[in-house]
Amino acid sequence: MVVMTDSLVFLMGKFEARIPVDRRYFESHFWAFPAGDVLRVGFTAYAVRLLQDVYFLDWQIDPDTAVRRKQTIGEIESSKAVSTMYAPADGKIVRFNEALLNDPSLINADNYDRGWLYEFATTTPLLAAEEYVKVLEAGWEQTQRLLKNQFNE
Amino acid sequence: MAGRKLTVVISQAPGKNPVKRHLEEEIATRLMLSGTAEVSVVPHLYDLTSDHTGMLWLKSLKGNLVVLGWLYPRAIRWVLDRNGVKGQVGESRLNVAETTDDEEDPPETAEDLAPQGIGSLNVPNRLIFAIDLRNDPDPQTYISEIERLSESLAVPLVQLSGLFGSSMTSNGHPTVSTNGSPNTNGAAQTNGSAAKGEITAAHDSNSNSPTPQAPVVIGGENVRRRWYPVIDYSRCTNCMECLDFCLFGVYGVDLTDRILVEQEDNCKKGCPACSRVCPANAIVFPEHKTPAIAGAEGGAVEDFKIDLSKLFGAPSALEMAVQERDVELVADGRDAVGTAVGLPKRQSGLSEKPRDALDDLMDGLDSLDL
Repeated sequence: MVVMTDSLVFLMGKFEARIPVDRRYFESHFWAFPAGDVLRVGFTAYAVRLLQDVYFLDWQIDPDTAVRRKQTIGEIESSKAVSTMYAPADGKIVRFNEALLNDPSLINADNYDRGWLYEFATTTPLLAAEEYVKVLEAGWEQTQRLLKNQFNE
Repeated sequence: MAGRKLTVVISQAPGKNPVKRHLEEEIATRLMLSGTAEVSVVPHLYDLTSDHTGMLWLKSLKGNLVVLGWLYPRAIRWVLDRNGVKGQVGESRLNVAETTDDEEDPPETAEDLAPQGIGSLNVPNRLIFAIDLRNDPDPQTYISEIERLSESLAVPLVQLSGLFGSSMTSNGHPTVSTNGSPNTNGAAQTNGSAAKGEITAAHDSNSNSPTPQAPVVIGGENVRRRWYPVIDYSRCTNCMECLDFCLFGVYGVDLTDRILVEQEDNCKKGCPACSRVCPANAIVFPEHKTPAIAGAEGGAVEDFKIDLSKLFGAPSALEMAVQERDVELVADGRDAVGTAVGLPKRQSGLSEKPRDALDDLMDGLDSLDL
């Protein structure tokens, strides 16, 4: 799809989460890259690092559906985690990445390209890479606490 | 009271799941055969209207009561309570997580988590044991527990039966009534009831046949599925936030200004929004897929996996409630109101407090896919 020129790096402990500057971001840890007149959306390296190996991905809405921000659109399960998937903004989910339905491991193997999740049309302003990294910096403590809390239950 | 058997009512699973039906029938027939308890069967408790034969039957029962059903014990208890079948909370060993939460002295922090409720009114001095049939697929688990309860409630059944035959065991229940004539057979409990011809085949415990007749389901025909909130008054603080939030007129107050579910059939199927705004987590939708809403005692994590929903944009409980309410409003041809109407009062003035680990924990729980 694209040759990545440059990336910022956010350190998660010792892990370097690469945040390419050629695209924009949602603060719920998705990247968005223009593909024709829509945006291709996928998980950032930060999200994938937390998920680890993705086993299962299920969409609960049909392609070409208008969604509201935070509306439930699917489920994901990985070796370490489960999560409901939510629409990152008001807009329309145009189509899903069919390749993932057979093999969601592409999310791990190539999260910034072939592991894209869906194509999305929205007018919501998005974050630049630098802004997204600031979101990560601000939220890192809290994310670690969230994980620890769940482990300690 | 002496000689009265423990009363057991089995609430059937909705639908026709043969595995569930089999478990219900096994428990019923084994209890009948052993003579441990007076058994009857009603359709799915939650679906019964207040004037349904099965519910009227439950209301007619006196004394200690065991209710087995396919619901969380809290849900069973408060569905019964709302229909006037009241009693003190009986503790079953099968509901361990349940009873420790309810009955032990709460740890300090629990005061914030579960504010003291206004309680139920006019609770008679008898025990109601609510048991979830999803605990275990083995009927023996329930039989053993009912036998244990029966003994611990000190019903002097065994001695009396030994002395006088089975004459003391009948208490007027229609489903099982052993013959009242004196019987010299000392083992009256297990096979004495087979002595007289007027007793039906269901009581023929001498036979080893595995298919004795199960009790008739009381009012079993044409029970419609229902959806409505059930208030847990042990938690409810009468804050009225549900009354403010629900725009479908489900809630009301009684003559003493206690909150109640007034127009239950105004409730929108599948919508649990008021439960999410309830600050005391006192509103139960027994059929909701999220255990915390369906009446599970809070905090149990079924799975060791981490829930990352919060990270990936999960709405807060309040956001979700507003969304669910809007969907139902629009479906009714009304306008969505978003956050403009009936939002909980507690949201104001709380923002200055710094978040702490407990806040995170609570938020985390909220989004757990239990």
